[in-house]
Amino acid sequence: MKVALLSESPADEAVLKILVEAVLEAPPHFVGLGLRARGWPNVMQVLPAVIRHLHFNTDTDALVVSCDSDESIVHTAAHDAPGYFHPHCRMCLLRGVFRRTVKKLPPAHGRTRVLRAVGVAVPALEAWLLCGRDQSVSEEAWTMGQERGQLPFTRAELKWRVYGTDRPSLPHEIRCAHHELERIRRNPRRLEHDFPGFAALAREVREWSQINR
Amino acid sequence: MIASVAFKNFKALRGTSLVLSAFNLVIGPNGSGKTSLIQALLRLRSLAKLPLADGVQKPGGPEIEFRFAVPHDAVQVRLGCISENVCDFLHVTPPGAAGWPALQTELRSIRSYLLDHDALAEFAPPAPNSALSLHGENLVGVLAYLQAHQPDAFRALSAELIRLLPEFRQLTVEPREGGVMELVMILNDGSRVTADNLSQGTLYLLGILVLAFDPAPPAVLCIEEIDRGIHPRMLREVRDLLYRLSYPASFGLPRPPTQVIATTHSPYLLDLFRDHPEEIVISQKQGTEAKFERLSDRADLAELMQEGSLGDMWFSGILGGVPEER
Repeated sequence: MKVALLSESPADEAVLKILVEAVLEAPPHFVGLGLRARGWPNVMQVLPAVIRHLHFNTDTDALVVSCDSDESIVHTAAHDAPGYFHPHCRMCLLRGVFRRTVKKLPPAHGRTRVLRAVGVAVPALEAWLLCGRDQSVSEEAWTMGQERGQLPFTRAELKWRVYGTDRPSLPHEIRCAHHELERIRRNPRRLEHDFPGFAALAREVREWSQINR
Repeated sequence: MIASVAFKNFKALRGTSLVLSAFNLVIGPNGSGKTSLIQALLRLRSLAKLPLADGVQKPGGPEIEFRFAVPHDAVQVRLGCISENVCDFLHVTPPGAAGWPALQTELRSIRSYLLDHDALAEFAPPAPNSALSLHGENLVGVLAYLQAHQPDAFRALSAELIRLLPEFRQLTVEPREGGVMELVMILNDGSRVTADNLSQGTLYLLGILVLAFDPAPPAVLCIEEIDRGIHPRMLREVRDLLYRLSYPASFGLPRPPTQVIATTHSPYLLDLFRDHPEEIVISQKQGTEAKFERLSDRADLAELMQEGSLGDMWFSGILGGVPEER
């Protein structure tokens, strides 16, 4: 299986690679395309072109996309109802872009479409990295804080907890991520439990092998 | 560290002030006072080298007032100018301030850079210290100094360069006739690339690395067009190299921070300050007058950042700091 990743930085890409491997329990062949987006909403802007590029110009089987939710609406089970689409939920928006883009594409390279796995880190990727280490950090804690109007932590605080600074260098960011992922990769189900935005990604990764294209 | 600067009738800065933090990225259209801000700091440096003189300033000339962070917060310095180009009055308040000699020493160390790839590629004799010159014309000399006298810094700088540019395996400085040195980089296949054949971006990156890995950095460092010649994807690394100066503790470095004042025209670089909008200064130009504003002072900033990247917002004109159109 040939898998491409669209991420915001080499550090995010390193995290996604390890998490996809952990979910599949075997390393896929990651296509070294180095696809990057410059945060939200740039990921929405480049995603259609990235999908078309992968579909027509490569034999990539699947694309993994992940972004941070920041302070946006968090995806819930209610958003998954057939035909429902929340216009401010990043998960719904990214899935919508995928749906609309692949629908128009003719078959190429022996497949009808590039498979997808979309994840949204709530509120940021550093929250995933704290899973199993910091009990106060979870998607539920964040959404409850949003409802109360009092967020339980900030992005800067998450960075401090993971990197020991809110201005980490890229190598330091990758080193710290690898350190945290040693724990997380052994039990990705815990991450899925605490972060439904990752569970959605993991579910789509597991479904790849069952989809007949 | 300089806490604030206030301008009165100094070039386009007719009446504006700016609170400075450890790291400051100044954006704005051409002619909006970014360089004038740096020139003001250089005037301060020049005058801080001289003994205080009694004198009477001609009234009505341009003035620049500086305030300082702890431990020099009790000292206030005012530069008085005869014209926009001649500032030769320096008034320290309170007179005979106890902290002035120590502050003077810090101010004398202010450095300013406008790196130039032709200058960075020049042959040069070994430098007497680690201070890069204005355009980087002594780059190879500084590298030779570091290799000979600060081998740990040279090793760390070389390792960082090779991490950033993995097609290379070694950075060397080689002696040439006349007591000068030449910069040579070795590719992974063993072939040699002399400085005059290095890409402009490689030379600019090397210049920034020399500043970031300087074992004796200045108290204040100004650098213009920090994105010059650098690929947009490398701008994160450039930002981090400057953060290394401003926030040494974040990099495990036990030394005082260097205050950085950098300018850019790159929206991609601006995108990287989403988590720290307080580090962005926008120079707003209206007619022939310019004023400084902190991006973080905008009340609607959080909403704006939900809508798009800072770079796109800047380009669109929402943030200001764009050229006027007729």
